[in-house]
Amino acid sequence: MRRTPLQSLALYGAVIVICGILVFPIYWLFITALSQPDALRAMPPKFWPEHPNWGIFAEVLNDKPLLLWLKNSVLAALGAVGLSMVVSIPAGYALSRFRLRGGESLGLVILTSKMLPATLLVIPLFVIFRQLGLLGSLWSVILAHATLIVPFSTWMLKGYFDTIPQELEQAAMVDGCSPIGAMIRVVLPVSAPGLAATALYGFVLSWADYAYARTFLTSAQQNWTLNLGITTMRGEYISNWAIISAACVLATIPVLFIYLFLERYLVGGMTAGSEK
Amino acid sequence: MAQTNSERTTETFSGRPQGKSTWFASLDLARPSRRHWLGYMLLAPAVLLMIAFVAYPLFVSLDISFQNVGIVRFDQPRKPFTTANYEKLFTSPDFWNAVWVTVKLVVVVTTSCFVLGLGTALLVNNHFKGRPLARLLVALPWAIPEIIAVVIFAWLFDSSFGLINWLMIKLGLIGSPINWFSTPGAAFSAVSVVMIWKGYPFVSIMALAGLQSIPEDYYNAAKVDGANVWQRFIYITIPSLMPILGVSMILSMLWVFRDFSIIYTLTGGGPLGSTETLSIMTYEEAFGFFRMGYASAVGIITLVICVVVSRLMLHRAPENL
Amino acid sequence: MADIRIEHVRKSYGALTVLHDFDLTIEDGEFVVFVGPSGCGKSTMLKILAGLENATSGRILIGGEDVTDRAPGDRDIAMVFQNYALYPHLTVRGNMGFGLKMRGVPASEIDRRVNDAARLLGVDHLLDRRPKQLSGGQRQRVALGRAIVREPRAYLMDEPLSNLDAKLRVQMRAEISALHQRLNVTTVYVTHDQTEAMTMANRIVIMRDGTIQQIADPETMFYKPANLFVASFIGSPGMNLLSAKPKVDESGAAVELFGTRVPLPVDPARVNGHNLALGLRPEHLTLAGGPASVTVTPTLVESLGSEKYIYVSLPEENRLSADEVSDGRRSEQFIVRLPEAGAIRASEPLTLYFDPARIHLFDPASGAAII
Repeated sequence: MRRTPLQSLALYGAVIVICGILVFPIYWLFITALSQPDALRAMPPKFWPEHPNWGIFAEVLNDKPLLLWLKNSVLAALGAVGLSMVVSIPAGYALSRFRLRGGESLGLVILTSKMLPATLLVIPLFVIFRQLGLLGSLWSVILAHATLIVPFSTWMLKGYFDTIPQELEQAAMVDGCSPIGAMIRVVLPVSAPGLAATALYGFVLSWADYAYARTFLTSAQQNWTLNLGITTMRGEYISNWAIISAACVLATIPVLFIYLFLERYLVGGMTAGSEK
Repeated sequence: MAQTNSERTTETFSGRPQGKSTWFASLDLARPSRRHWLGYMLLAPAVLLMIAFVAYPLFVSLDISFQNVGIVRFDQPRKPFTTANYEKLFTSPDFWNAVWVTVKLVVVVTTSCFVLGLGTALLVNNHFKGRPLARLLVALPWAIPEIIAVVIFAWLFDSSFGLINWLMIKLGLIGSPINWFSTPGAAFSAVSVVMIWKGYPFVSIMALAGLQSIPEDYYNAAKVDGANVWQRFIYITIPSLMPILGVSMILSMLWVFRDFSIIYTLTGGGPLGSTETLSIMTYEEAFGFFRMGYASAVGIITLVICVVVSRLMLHRAPENL
Repeated sequence: MADIRIEHVRKSYGALTVLHDFDLTIEDGEFVVFVGPSGCGKSTMLKILAGLENATSGRILIGGEDVTDRAPGDRDIAMVFQNYALYPHLTVRGNMGFGLKMRGVPASEIDRRVNDAARLLGVDHLLDRRPKQLSGGQRQRVALGRAIVREPRAYLMDEPLSNLDAKLRVQMRAEISALHQRLNVTTVYVTHDQTEAMTMANRIVIMRDGTIQQIADPETMFYKPANLFVASFIGSPGMNLLSAKPKVDESGAAVELFGTRVPLPVDPARVNGHNLALGLRPEHLTLAGGPASVTVTPTLVESLGSEKYIYVSLPEENRLSADEVSDGRRSEQFIVRLPEAGAIRASEPLTLYFDPARIHLFDPASGAAII
């Protein structure tokens, strides 16, 4: 059905306005980072800085151990994702291929894990990690993040494996592979895109965590993640928004990139556990 | 190529050695009778991880909530069983305030996310130039870590130089700048706005996926039957979307219930407890006042509420979960 | 190459039994086809033969060795799947050589066998392509090649032609048969298509609901079906099935079909008093002439060029009840297949001739054939 020019105009108009408003805060973050201090205090606010201060990024890197925080966030995320994948690839595969009694309860487990307030679990985990001497170490965060990721990744992977016909492994087994051999040599290479998407989704989950990082790592400054570090900046730099915005920009870029690549696969992760 | 059995020169290359020693053979998981062992073996690591770091801590939490304990130490003998924490909880005005704040927040944020999420999904579902870009942009807030969203909005809501005050004064909505973070009502609004901004993309993405999975033919059949745009929306779009919308509503709700990062870093639960949800209260009691027993009790109650509410909602649409 | 013995295999999933006491001996070099409607258990039996499923009870012996609990890779069998199951991340060469590589066969030997098989199947110009670049027929050939290269004791084929279009299916059927003639390897072939069974098999095993209905070579199965189900399944269109009560008088036994008396060349003592199910194949009626005849009025005439299908409505007294016939629709219809017939119009009476000796007799209650 053809649209009238008026309808087209209305549609484009609505899209531009709405997208503009919704994305504006992100734009504003970039602007704030690049603005000179006095520009920030100007009324009316300037929507584009006259002299963008590109040096702010170097400044914040010098000022704050941003790279250290970044390194910690990356390490924590890689560790958490690595651990999660090692555990959930076999689990997702088992749920996909075998008629296990735990099959339907997985959905229940995922739903329950979404209901658990992190603030509840954080208390016993704090006690446990202190007992194990892991407080302040990145391992506490890695393990905690893994518990966040594993239910999602297992379900996502199960979904991906479901789309691969079982005959592939059967052919491999007839050809002489053991069942695990068939999984490793045939199913994993074929499901590589799904594995990548799941891993990236796990990375985003780990990157976004604050509660666990704050509880377990506050005492160990050298292990602070980005989220933790940036929040402390706000206490101090209550008036230097440019610096903290610049730090935020640097912290956001990795996730933005991942999001750009992941956008198509997002639905899979988000609906994890919510459909049979 | 060999044609008959007797001419096979490749005898040595075919098949694996037939006999394996007995104990090894019984471990051979490739054998049909052992295959399901493999399934359980593969599942085991994930299950163990979840038991060790979710189920066990949850149990510990429950245990702690029945003890009068400040900071929990495993190496000390267990404190005696007592329901004092729960009694204190139910008679505490702070607790009920937290419940009220949580409920308010859940209702406000969830409905707004619903409207905004569905609206943007419907908008972006149309065909127009630049549609992929619009889709990307609409869901972008999802990718921004909550902490960073808090920084952005803390600046936007700044009482002296924040854009929002400036805009509202310009539009004539208010006379003088609002101090968003020291005024109870305003603080609540600020928290809501941030949560809505972070929360609607989820509903949007789910709704969009749902919209795109509605077969074109449903609409075609309806058009042939004479239905107009509004009728098609009511009788085809909404019913087809109900399952997905239902699920995303429940998940959104649960997210608001649990959220810690946004509220804690934006307002810390204040001013005057106006943004103190159950989640914040749990954390404060545990790590602010070091009353872990009491805090665990609050946490357990929160969990119970979540479970009860989602089960209630699930009964509306049992086939989706 | 080896013989295969399936001894009293049973398969149940909890309370549901999918295979009841399957017992069969397949000779070395034989081409046996398991055929039957979907859900009859044929694929399950094949998977048990392959070791991909576990039998609840019973034994499998290949070449005299008990392989019942042996891994699929240790049975020295090769399998061809309905969906080809080619490894998408490997080239055709990689696909065909995979099994040999798993067994540690030296690379030179792998190359030799892969090249030979590829040439035999006409896919040697495709060796460096990936499966997704191939057509359906080519993929099926590669799947066959993957099986051949292993030089196994037996081939197992699970509906390999079902995903191909009709013309290609006919061509591949002939190729597989030719391959079997040449290689002479024991083959178990599963299909739901009775035409494939009839044209390719040395022996057919026809199954229904987990039980074997009959084991016979194609000719025998066509001319001497063991029961109603086999009779209606084999043949295209299947055998017409009618109901009639024989009357016995001095001239012998006779039944009334389409209102006409038709003598039954059978010992009257065997059939006296019983309601009978009769079968007559659509191909066994002609316009030319014969010992018996009936006059019918067609309801529909389909012309295929070289032959015509005539559809006639069965009179009430000649209809079998719904549960006696496996295919509910056919209980009301009688189909005749006439090659090179002239102009025939529906609603115009037609006289059809046939030989009563061609009539098959069955017991309507059990479905079994009465000789």
